[in-house]
Amino acid sequence: MSEQTLPNPMPQGNVVSRIMYSRYTRLILILVFAASVLLPIVFMATTSIKQPIEIRESGAILPTRGIFTENWGRAFANVPLVRYLFNSTVVAVTSTLLALLIAVPATYSIVRFRTGGMVLPSLILGTYVMPPIVVSIPIFMMTRIAGLTDTLFGLILLHGMANLPVAVWLIDSYIRSLPVELEQAAWVDGYGRFETLLKVVIPLIRPGIVSAGMICMILSWNEFLFALILTYSDVSHTFPIGISRYEGEHGLQFGEMAAAALTGIIPIYLIVLFFQRYLVEGLTQGGVRG
Amino acid sequence: MASVEFKNVCKKYGDVEAVVEANWLCEDREFFSILGPSGCGKSSSLRMIAGLEEITAGEIRFDDEIVNHLAPRDRNIAMVFENWALYPNMTVFDNIAFPLQVRELPSSEVDKKVRRAMQFLNLEHLENSGVRGLSGGEKQRIAIGRAIVRDPSVLIMDEPISHLDAGLRSRMRDELKSQVSELGVTTLYITHDQVESMAMADRIAIMNLGRIQQVGTPLDIYHNPRNEFVAGFIGEPPMNFADCELVAENGKFLAKSSSFEIAITGENEQALKDYKGTTKLRLGVRPESTMLVPQSGAGTVSAVVDFVEHQGDRSFVTVKLSNGEIFLVEAESGVELEINENVNVKLEEEYTHYFDAENGLNILFLDEEHD
Repeated sequence: MSEQTLPNPMPQGNVVSRIMYSRYTRLILILVFAASVLLPIVFMATTSIKQPIEIRESGAILPTRGIFTENWGRAFANVPLVRYLFNSTVVAVTSTLLALLIAVPATYSIVRFRTGGMVLPSLILGTYVMPPIVVSIPIFMMTRIAGLTDTLFGLILLHGMANLPVAVWLIDSYIRSLPVELEQAAWVDGYGRFETLLKVVIPLIRPGIVSAGMICMILSWNEFLFALILTYSDVSHTFPIGISRYEGEHGLQFGEMAAAALTGIIPIYLIVLFFQRYLVEGLTQGGVRG
Repeated sequence: MASVEFKNVCKKYGDVEAVVEANWLCEDREFFSILGPSGCGKSSSLRMIAGLEEITAGEIRFDDEIVNHLAPRDRNIAMVFENWALYPNMTVFDNIAFPLQVRELPSSEVDKKVRRAMQFLNLEHLENSGVRGLSGGEKQRIAIGRAIVRDPSVLIMDEPISHLDAGLRSRMRDELKSQVSELGVTTLYITHDQVESMAMADRIAIMNLGRIQQVGTPLDIYHNPRNEFVAGFIGEPPMNFADCELVAENGKFLAKSSSFEIAITGENEQALKDYKGTTKLRLGVRPESTMLVPQSGAGTVSAVVDFVEHQGDRSFVTVKLSNGEIFLVEAESGVELEINENVNVKLEEEYTHYFDAENGLNILFLDEEHD
């Protein structure tokens, strides 16, 4: 191959490569990928409008016995779904704020003051690697002693702490990439260390904080194990626990469950879409030599 | 405005001595440059002045006030950073206004001062643009704008133009110098580039290996280098050096080596009368104080031509002495010489320096070693 052909991503004369790089191949691959992601959702949507008997009898994707919309009404009537979604939203938003409130100054301290030396960063990652089930019993005991079982506050605390390592991990690289001279300039110009963190560093690492927050919120929204252990009633059940409550006289009500599950996707998608606006990348580039 | 003084200032990082017993005084409104190669301690010095670094020992004074323990924000200094440290999320106006907004000045006053600074630095057309897409020269002017907008007592500049390309650098050098002298603010200018220091500073402190080597005006340092380091560091092309031995013959002093024998006269001879040190010397002479002469004589060194470099207005001839030492000789423009041609190099006695080969001190300044 001569140098002139280098920019061309489609190598000449090789049939396999030509097929690999062809526009149609790419299109097909994208469709396959999209289908594998969307199929379960489509399946769930069609299940939510099937008659219960049809769900048990046939595995077909599309309803064959006509459209049955009653699942949707029953999903809200038989289980306090709105309450669960409300609980989930409160827990996800509040625990995320809690995690960020601790993670931002903690990460700043780890990066700029080397707090905890080499040990703390690996310890933080270590706590996240550990399977949550391992600590489920002590967590339950501790929560009970604190009198926080079956409360939203208990779950908020737990989710906040459990997601802290993720937040620290994500924010770390943002603070590291910030030239320290930007802070020193602010000290010289009249800010103290804390004001500099608040008014100079945080605005500059906002994309990192927002993305860490989004991840924390999604993790909290989907969290099942701790919610299962720590909540006993509608007061504190979250959405994932709620889904498992669709039991009727004839076993699990898959149609209602599908309707509820689809509903549960919506709030978290709205929240993430809302915060995506603040994900403006590359804010830290260009202000210093480079 | 304020003077800045270092009194026996030391800085250690663990066992590493970054600054050792530094003493100097930068007068009020003076343009004072700290010059030295990388790792010489100039950046540590600057960071101690700014309060970004603790002082291990000694005193730093602004006028008569010891500022050792003052936080950066309480020192009324302004700083231009090596990488300019502009806030990428702010406009040009907001970057310059930052120190005023931090001090919560009324917005009408902020507006007035920022506009004056922008006008002064020719930045008015960029008022509302972000700083990201701007050229190096523009960013540099914004950084200066932010530094001068609130009338600091001391303006500190850390290699502010080292990262500009050569043409722009020489233009910014002139611009910066005239801006600063117009402001009349005490300026500490840190650089590794001797051309910058020589061109801009009222006085220069030269540092090497954590120690102040010499403090003086550019011309003083150029003509009266206190030691071999200063002599070699200042001047482009650099000074020529050769090993030699001090020999006394018939009451006269001679600098003798296997390739030359030169009579030591004038000030150097006076200084050598009281000289008690080693007889091993280093002869130093700048290329401009050497010339090619047709006849060999008392003050000449014989050599062969190694290389000729024409620069248009003058030429530089690299010659090799018989013991292999290399000298650079300034010659007239377009001088015609063959490689390996025998030549005689005359050293101007008045501008020839002798350094103690053991401690590197210029024998003219031996007494000042312990001041």
